[in-house]
Amino acid sequence: MLININNFLLALSLFFIVVIGSITVYSVTSIDLNYFFRFLTISVFSIILVSTFFYFVNFNRIISIGWIIFLLNILLIISVEFFGKEINGSKRWLDFGFLSLQPSEFLKITFAIFVIQYLRYFDFKFTVIRSVLLLAILVASALPIIIQPDLGTGIVFIAFGLLLLFICGMKFKYFFILALSFLVLSPVIYSYGLSDYQKGRILNWFSSEDTLAESWNILQSKISIGSGELLGEGFLGSKQNEFNFLPESDTDFIFSIYAEQFGFLGVGLILILLGIFIFSGLSGFRQKNILADDYSAYYLGIYFLMVITFSFLINIFMVSGLIPVVGLPLPFFTKGGSSLLCFSIMLGFIFSAKTYLKT
Amino acid sequence: MKKSNFKILQDRTWLLSIVIFLLLVFALSRFFYLQIIEGRNLKIQREANINTFEYIYPKRGRIISSDGYVLAEDIKSYSIAVDLEEKPSVSSIDLLVKIYPERLTRSSVENSIKQSIKGVSQEVLLDGLNQAGISKFLVRTGELAGFSVIEKYNRSYVDHPSMFHVLGHLGYVNNSDINFFQTRIDNFKPNIWQLVGKSGIERVYEAKLQGVHGKKFFNRNARGNRKVLIDEESFKEGEEVVLSINYEAQSKAFDLLGKRKGSIVVLDLKNFSIPVSVSTPSISANDLKGISSQGYKALLDDSSRPLFNRAFMGLYPPGSTIKPILAIFAISNNLTNWTETINDDGFFRFEEENRVFNAWKEGGHGITNLRKAIVESSNPFFMNLATRYDKDKLTAFFSDIFFDKTICIDCYPQLFSPLIDDVWKQKNFGSNIFKGDIINIGIGQGYLLTSPLHLALMAGIIAKKGEYNIPFLIQQNEPLEQTKKINTNISDDDWSRIHEAMIGVVYSKNGTGYRINPGELKLAGKSGTSQLKKFTSREEYEEIRENPALRDHAIFIGFAPYDDPRYAISVLVENGESGGAVAGPIAKEVLLELINAD
Repeated sequence: MLININNFLLALSLFFIVVIGSITVYSVTSIDLNYFFRFLTISVFSIILVSTFFYFVNFNRIISIGWIIFLLNILLIISVEFFGKEINGSKRWLDFGFLSLQPSEFLKITFAIFVIQYLRYFDFKFTVIRSVLLLAILVASALPIIIQPDLGTGIVFIAFGLLLLFICGMKFKYFFILALSFLVLSPVIYSYGLSDYQKGRILNWFSSEDTLAESWNILQSKISIGSGELLGEGFLGSKQNEFNFLPESDTDFIFSIYAEQFGFLGVGLILILLGIFIFSGLSGFRQKNILADDYSAYYLGIYFLMVITFSFLINIFMVSGLIPVVGLPLPFFTKGGSSLLCFSIMLGFIFSAKTYLKT
Repeated sequence: MKKSNFKILQDRTWLLSIVIFLLLVFALSRFFYLQIIEGRNLKIQREANINTFEYIYPKRGRIISSDGYVLAEDIKSYSIAVDLEEKPSVSSIDLLVKIYPERLTRSSVENSIKQSIKGVSQEVLLDGLNQAGISKFLVRTGELAGFSVIEKYNRSYVDHPSMFHVLGHLGYVNNSDINFFQTRIDNFKPNIWQLVGKSGIERVYEAKLQGVHGKKFFNRNARGNRKVLIDEESFKEGEEVVLSINYEAQSKAFDLLGKRKGSIVVLDLKNFSIPVSVSTPSISANDLKGISSQGYKALLDDSSRPLFNRAFMGLYPPGSTIKPILAIFAISNNLTNWTETINDDGFFRFEEENRVFNAWKEGGHGITNLRKAIVESSNPFFMNLATRYDKDKLTAFFSDIFFDKTICIDCYPQLFSPLIDDVWKQKNFGSNIFKGDIINIGIGQGYLLTSPLHLALMAGIIAKKGEYNIPFLIQQNEPLEQTKKINTNISDDDWSRIHEAMIGVVYSKNGTGYRINPGELKLAGKSGTSQLKKFTSREEYEEIRENPALRDHAIFIGFAPYDDPRYAISVLVENGESGGAVAGPIAKEVLLELINAD
């Protein structure tokens, strides 16, 4: 049953997150109120439209062409190297005139669909060969992103890929072997695989000294957050944003501006909404599906809920200085079309997965 | 029994749910830490980010001469800077180059944009423009986007070099300046590019001249360019300082010395202010602005020492000009009187040490009393007199007439004339003062050193019959409340006789200053030469004087009018040889200028 208390809470929390996100995007860019309403409308409607579309599209059909979608996505990412437009020194975007897309954003979805297609064929039974194969594909498909260069997105993609494999039931021992081999290989990767800029980012996170330019962003981000104190400076009250002290305040660091405006109470509200979102979302997937013994929809639904939630958590850990800065946008707090489209598709799958729960 | 796929999914979802829950709690506590515990501190950091201020430097006070000339003033000057935020287009760069073709080229502009330091919002391209220069820019501002005008004050001095040593100059503040001013000015907190007085009036009257700077408070953005003016603290312009220096007489005095090295100091005996204080050679303080380090080094290394203020810092043996002073000492201590005579045959034999001192005049002056000894400058007379001096009493007397004491309230920097006593000699030569030393001191040679300023003060003390005031450089309109008097024991009659002897120096045929020919000026004085090198015979001096730099210095001290002294003067001409013939006539001209100006 689609309409129950859990789904209502899921939709409600989502709605508030989207509204708060739009308000925050407006407060950072503060173009004009018309733009804000247009933005909010577009956000809400695109979420509804896209998720409705994916809700009605036959789940099994999509999964059955999973490898084609995944391959297309990879091709698009590679084509960015040739046709993409360069922003901030890295090529990530494909310009379609009416919108520019960042194909690497969609890899999280298409890889998942491909993996589900593959595993469904083997009834989700992991063997050594299947595990190694999937891990190899995961790492290989991250490579074009990493050379864009966009190390952060690449690492996040790999992390989400592992999360997917974990949800799908890959044995723990494979994770251990993977972790072990990463530890052994990491000095080699660090020495030969990374650019100085990327090394700087990693070093900065390990060192306590604020010497590198990257620390400036984190410091300013912490200043923004702290200045909010309990109640915040109020809507449009972010001085850090007004005087441009926080770089990328409209993308990666938007949450700091939100925290400055709405204080600890505002942050608490968002975290509570996020908690409601994830736990009401997951609750539906606890029932056994009585219509089918195929749990593909479950895997995807749970995975996408996790992706949204972890994206949120990673971003706010990042802006509060707990983890290194990896260019990961905050879901629904962004002007970025790719991100919005991406999360809308995920929501579509989540709601669609829930239709499997008909009694 | 293997777990079903669904069971595995459930277990792992549970595990992830717990992880997410913990992460949510962790995130909440992280934000609690940042916003509630550290919030205040971080907010203070934010305010430090945003709030900035800028000093408003007020116009520095003018310096005016007693005869109304503006000797130093702040003149507004304009600079054109390129805004690095909003860089100018090629066409506006070309237009700017067209307006100032002799100072800019397109590549020079582009280079300074390229080479600008990161984080700086403006880069100065052109500075020192006056009103006319900037108006060429202002009429076309509309087409010159990306450039802006900065206003500031430039110190401008009178071009005549006579004023440099009195006025001093400005320079960027350094640590020693901060130490100097902190004890003199309340709340002296300069910022690094502040100009402060480095010497002269500019330094002594820094507090008065600089005014009180204001502050402009801004909210600024991360690039540091000003954005919003939020508050302003008002400033106070610097006050004017009017000097006792008479600029006409000062510049005339300077020109009279011409290319010669030397110094002239005049005291106005009304209150002992200084209407003339000249040291040659000199420069104009304007020449120091924007001087290259090589140029500055060349000035410092110049053997004629143009930056050295001889008037306040030059220490010279006073030579015979000390004689009237020592006459006061001798009479005060009953060591001689006006009737005692000696036979001056051109030599002084000091039997105690079995030494013979040559006098300057061959054959000597014959039978000589104190008056004649002053008028004709008899060395044997004063050497003979010096054998009777008690060195402790002499030291006390010298101390009373400003040896090793501040001679001027606001002359900066000044050197004290050393007080020659046993302590001094022990320190410098490792022995006590000998009689022979006192004999040399008795004719103003040997260890005795005085600055031209000090000589002028001593001339003033004689002129005012022992009364004095400590000299100063600013205009003081109120008459003196009370003058001080040196500690002597001589009668008014003795004072008059000393005056009379000094009149005789100028007016009697045998007087060493007879050639001055003062005309209408009622001049009394005493000439002197100060030896640079010891010699024992005239022939020896003839050899020495082959080198002009070793010739004796010519000195003249005096006062006028002699019947009612108004000005006291000291003139020193380095290597001028004859006090009477070289220094005296200069003194006459300067005093005439002053007296005629009244």
